[in-house]
Amino acid sequence: MAPVLPLVLPLQPRIRLAQGLWLLSWLLVLVGGLTLLCSGHLLVQLWHLGTFLAPSCPFSALPQVALAASAVALGTGLVSSGASRASLDAEQYPPWRGVLGPLLVAGTAGGGGLLVLALGLALALPGTLDTSLEEGLGSALAHYKDTEVPGRCQAKRLLDELQLRYHCCGRHGYKDWFGIQWVSNRYLDPNDHDVVDRIQSNVEGLYLIDGVPFSCCNPHSPRPCLQSQLSDPHAHPLFDPRQPNLNLWSQGCHEVLLGHLQGLASTLGNTLAVTFLLQTLVLLGLRYLQTALEGLGGVIDGEGEAQGYLFPAGLKDMLKTAWLQGAGPHRPAPGEAPPEEEPPKEGLP
Amino acid sequence: MALLKVKFDQKKRVKLAQGLWLMNWFSVLAGIIIFGLGLFLKIELRKRSDVMNNSESHFVPNSLIGVGVLSCVFNSLAGKICYDALDPAKYAKWKPWLKPYLAVCVLFNLALFLVALCCFLLRGSLESTLAHGLKNGMKFYRDTDTPGRCFMKKTIDMLQIEFKCCGNNGFRDWFEIQWISNRYLDFSSKEVKDRIKSNVDGRYLVDGVPFSCCNPNSPRPCIQYQLTNNSAHYSYDHQTEELNLWLRGCRAALLSYYSNLMNTIGAVTLLVWLFEVTITVGLRYLHTALEGMANPEDPECESEGWLLEKSVPETWKAVLESVKKLGKGNQVEAEGEDAGQAPAAG
Repeated sequence: MAPVLPLVLPLQPRIRLAQGLWLLSWLLVLVGGLTLLCSGHLLVQLWHLGTFLAPSCPFSALPQVALAASAVALGTGLVSSGASRASLDAEQYPPWRGVLGPLLVAGTAGGGGLLVLALGLALALPGTLDTSLEEGLGSALAHYKDTEVPGRCQAKRLLDELQLRYHCCGRHGYKDWFGIQWVSNRYLDPNDHDVVDRIQSNVEGLYLIDGVPFSCCNPHSPRPCLQSQLSDPHAHPLFDPRQPNLNLWSQGCHEVLLGHLQGLASTLGNTLAVTFLLQTLVLLGLRYLQTALEGLGGVIDGEGEAQGYLFPAGLKDMLKTAWLQGAGPHRPAPGEAPPEEEPPKEGLP
Repeated sequence: MALLKVKFDQKKRVKLAQGLWLMNWFSVLAGIIIFGLGLFLKIELRKRSDVMNNSESHFVPNSLIGVGVLSCVFNSLAGKICYDALDPAKYAKWKPWLKPYLAVCVLFNLALFLVALCCFLLRGSLESTLAHGLKNGMKFYRDTDTPGRCFMKKTIDMLQIEFKCCGNNGFRDWFEIQWISNRYLDFSSKEVKDRIKSNVDGRYLVDGVPFSCCNPNSPRPCIQYQLTNNSAHYSYDHQTEELNLWLRGCRAALLSYYSNLMNTIGAVTLLVWLFEVTITVGLRYLHTALEGMANPEDPECESEGWLLEKSVPETWKAVLESVKKLGKGNQVEAEGEDAGQAPAAG
């Protein structure tokens, strides 16, 4: 039964390993904290933009899983920094001996699993944003005029604030506003000929105008904002409807929000990848340190050479041993050594 | 009779020195925080210097920055002194400097207190600067073609959107100035010609406001023009309509923002001042306790620490005496010179 990936560790390299591990652990704590902040920020942004995403959007799973994964990474970093500090001191190490094994398993399975899941979500989920934003923004635009309808009365305010803050207009451009009725019927004069004409000329009886709300206005424009009669070239002096770029915001809110959220998701994905790399290194280093010290029987300053390894035997042998161990208590076979006489190297189940 | 005497044995002295060392390092942190707050206030004032006519006073943030830096320097020095205080050999080299250092500390605490007071009191000057600056800003709103003023429209629009305000005191300020540039007026239209003729200065005044005054909380699309004409809009009464535009004036909005900022900074500075006073008092006790040791070679001996050697009136008398002596000393020297010169001349 040959150990997997053995590494001979005399005293000096062991000390170097412990010191390097301590540094790496604090780096992991730092990066884990950064990822925690990133995922928290994304969560807050999603909460603010919740109305413009479809209710069934799975994108909010990403920051939640990333939050859990980075918290576990942070904990792993703190624990391994304590363990590597203790491994340099003969008096502090014994309490860690029993705890390290299960901690390593928890760190690898739990932390590693969560990180891999978060990375997978960071790669897959941004693709679902497109349809979700399409649906959410479309619904927000349609309900802009429903300031009297309970449950929808906030749509106007939220959409105006979105356009003011993110410097965008409509879904893909300002012309989206021409296709919906954004003026509530309550403020339309039924005796006005113009209103009646417009409503009658439309199949669905909607009051459509070639105008936009005030939140589409661009403050960088040198002239006061033109919001109405935008397709009529003679309505405003010196205004060319083919070049409204400075008058209104030219970008659509769909593109702006998509870019914003995808940017945040990619930053989060990058930090998750770095956390994953660091966590792997830290767990590997800790495992080698643990097995090397177990080989010496837990004596820290022993001058002897010890061998560190990942697993005491190959995968097949390990499974066989585990199977036999499990079957041992039921069938005491002659010549089988009782479990207490097993070498202490078999610490990890 | 000494002021506020306290007995110190070895242990107490060591505890005092250690405690002071820790407090000094916290105080360095506090100094960095004050420096940061001063820098933040300076940046906030610079960001909106356009609407303050570029004439706002930077006295408060500059003094906060200076006081923050000084606090860092003094407190790290005091920390070093406290660290060395327990070692007689190292302490000996600091001994002659401690009394003048404590005097400087007292002056610094006074300066810190004055700066904290200034944070609360400079509101009035800001108000007048803002009033003038906003008035000018609105006057130049339409000059988007004039180099040097072309940014004013963008500045005022973004200010009104960000601070949720309109005009100087209210939205009616926009009725009194021409905020639409002549370049975009159709002079062949009768309406434009009538408006310009009805005005003494030949300005095009409208009862309308720019789009940035609009309030997104309004249930109806924003009404910007013909605000005083009820019949121009369906179901509209300009006297009861409250949600259409922002009702607050930008002067009040900006003033309240800067007041809150300066009040918070002033409160933090006062807390730091209290902390610094505690440190100075502790340092004085340590100084007098170490001076009062009967036998300098024996660290175990007891000593007394006090704030002032004599009571306050006696100390004040002693200070006056020493100042008089200084003056008299000059006089005696001058008489001696005269006496010396007279025989020399005579």
